[in-house]
Amino acid sequence: MSKILRVNMNDMDYKWEEVPKKYSTYAGRAMTTAIVHDEVEATCDPLRENNKVVVSPGLLAGTPAPSSGRISFGGKSPLTGTIKEANAGGLSGTRLGNLGIRAIVIEGMPETKKDWYSLYVSKDDVELLKTNDYAGIGLYDLIGRVWKKYDTRPGIVGCGVAGQRKNKSAGIFGNNIENTDPGRYAGRGGLGAVLGSKRLVAIISDDKGADRPKPKDKDLFDEGRKKLAEALDEHPVTGKLEDDDGNPYGGLKNYGTNVLMNILNEAGGLPSRGFSSGRFNGASKISGEAVHELVDKTKKKFGDKAEGMYGHPCHPGCIMACSNVVPYEKTGKAHVSPLEYESAWSLGTNLVIDNLEHVAELNRLCNDLGLDTIEAGNTIAMFMESGQIDYGDGEAAIKLLKEAYKEDSVVGKLISSGAKIAGETFGVTRIPVVKGQSLPAYDPRPIRGIGVTYATSTMGADHTSGYTIAAEILGIKGDVSDPREMKKAELSRNFQATTAYIDSSGYCLFIAFAILDIDKGFEGMTQTVNGFLGDEVDVTKYGLKVLEMERDFNRNAGFTKEDDRLPEFFRTEPLPPHDVTFDVPDDELDAVYKDM
Amino acid sequence: MKLYATLRCFAPEGTEIGESFPVEIDDGTVKQVLSKLGISEERAKIIMVNGVRVKDADAPLKEGDLLVVFPPVGGG
Repeated sequence: MSKILRVNMNDMDYKWEEVPKKYSTYAGRAMTTAIVHDEVEATCDPLRENNKVVVSPGLLAGTPAPSSGRISFGGKSPLTGTIKEANAGGLSGTRLGNLGIRAIVIEGMPETKKDWYSLYVSKDDVELLKTNDYAGIGLYDLIGRVWKKYDTRPGIVGCGVAGQRKNKSAGIFGNNIENTDPGRYAGRGGLGAVLGSKRLVAIISDDKGADRPKPKDKDLFDEGRKKLAEALDEHPVTGKLEDDDGNPYGGLKNYGTNVLMNILNEAGGLPSRGFSSGRFNGASKISGEAVHELVDKTKKKFGDKAEGMYGHPCHPGCIMACSNVVPYEKTGKAHVSPLEYESAWSLGTNLVIDNLEHVAELNRLCNDLGLDTIEAGNTIAMFMESGQIDYGDGEAAIKLLKEAYKEDSVVGKLISSGAKIAGETFGVTRIPVVKGQSLPAYDPRPIRGIGVTYATSTMGADHTSGYTIAAEILGIKGDVSDPREMKKAELSRNFQATTAYIDSSGYCLFIAFAILDIDKGFEGMTQTVNGFLGDEVDVTKYGLKVLEMERDFNRNAGFTKEDDRLPEFFRTEPLPPHDVTFDVPDDELDAVYKDM
Repeated sequence: MKLYATLRCFAPEGTEIGESFPVEIDDGTVKQVLSKLGISEERAKIIMVNGVRVKDADAPLKEGDLLVVFPPVGGG
């Protein structure tokens, strides 16, 4: 039933394969990592023909398990040189899950670099289509054209002009449920450029006529999904929109991920002005609360015509619904969807821009161009750090980012190439990257556990790979002790292993907020996975196996423990207001993966 | 004091997001302030005094301190 589709771009051919026995429990990140580990030469050039792009819906994608429709993409990253997995919501996880496809492996590249292609997959059909009209255009335009051609509401993933030009900040986009925005990004690590190097613009998945995947042990699966759904609904982070009195209740449904903006600001761990301050005066103006207010205001003013939303699901069957649609204040029409915390931070706070409309516009441009918002924001910061434009100048930042549309613009290429390349080009010595990938929205100096994750993650600086913030700042999983007393290495390792399991299951990582606090939620998660597989899988062992393969790939690519370090300035420049540096010793960083 | 997210409804009407408002109490603990405003301790998940996290509601306060309270939140 489950199968692997192998697409060869050398001779424009494809074949179906059975899932090998050793991969029988693998999907999502475990699957992309296993295939990349086993098939891709670790020392290969990420943008030449020996690299591969592996697409894998999470194990439970397409099933009625709540919030389980994520999709993973893997390959060797052109940004970091490491193995890479990036995942996203959108429609494609569900569509491919329903088609019974455990993985699509894209390999080789066409000999002549003239034409652009799209892969179309449906119940009875696989086609490699020449689609030159999808290349060189904005992604809002592209997704509209695809849905005009296919009336079955297909999932679409692919690369925009940034990926087509092999720029290192290019993410893999996905259309949202309504097909109004290409903003469901597996953004990090430049995998969009790998897809572009294969001359593949889009993968279109159409599940018309296909049945939902069936669990092997239906009773166990159903028991599990009910428990998990209850836990998610109950928890104040992931739960319902309003309480019985009609007041806002669930944090994510009301404010989205951007509920974090104010809390990190108050905690003094919100990086601003290119990681030189832990607070930003304008933070509240671009926070989740501000978006909530704007949505309510435009709804009142424009009634049914208002398009702004919160409590918006990013994939079919998501009951946490943390996505949003940010409206234009003047018209109530949709401006961008979603505006996430990381993006509002990278394109707003970090650049000292507190104008919500400017921030939304920068995000919309990234979505249209096919750029990772975190990398793009950090890259613009390098232009500001070196005085090319001023911190706080939103209009200048928008003008700068628009250069990326022009094929012959050198500035446009630089802005799409990541913080490391831009920073080094300008002689900046405060470049916030680990293994070439720029840091997200938590300063590692006052919040040291996340610094350990940034340093040791197999992916380069990445908050999602071991989200210690949940314990360090948010108090998930019981009481929070003084962060300085916590064993940072142990904390980070546990989060990294559990995360690798969740990233493989199809579940959104945010179920962690509920399952770490509510035992029946954790039980529900494992029962659905075990019930689906008809096999028992140990969460930590499974996660550690994934990490082991990733570490092994990176070692073969030439990475050593000296690469598991933060840039020097985090150790030497104290961050106001707490005036602390990153003081976790190297041997504690090395302890995270001492055995692998 | 500053209140955020789902606790904003406990702030005086018209308080902007991120704006602080004064609270007068006799006995200076976090618990006193919460009870004065009608916020249950369960909802006051994250408490900061002058930007530093405090673990429990018995933490003492003195005149001029900035108390910031968040409900349980998460994201990323």
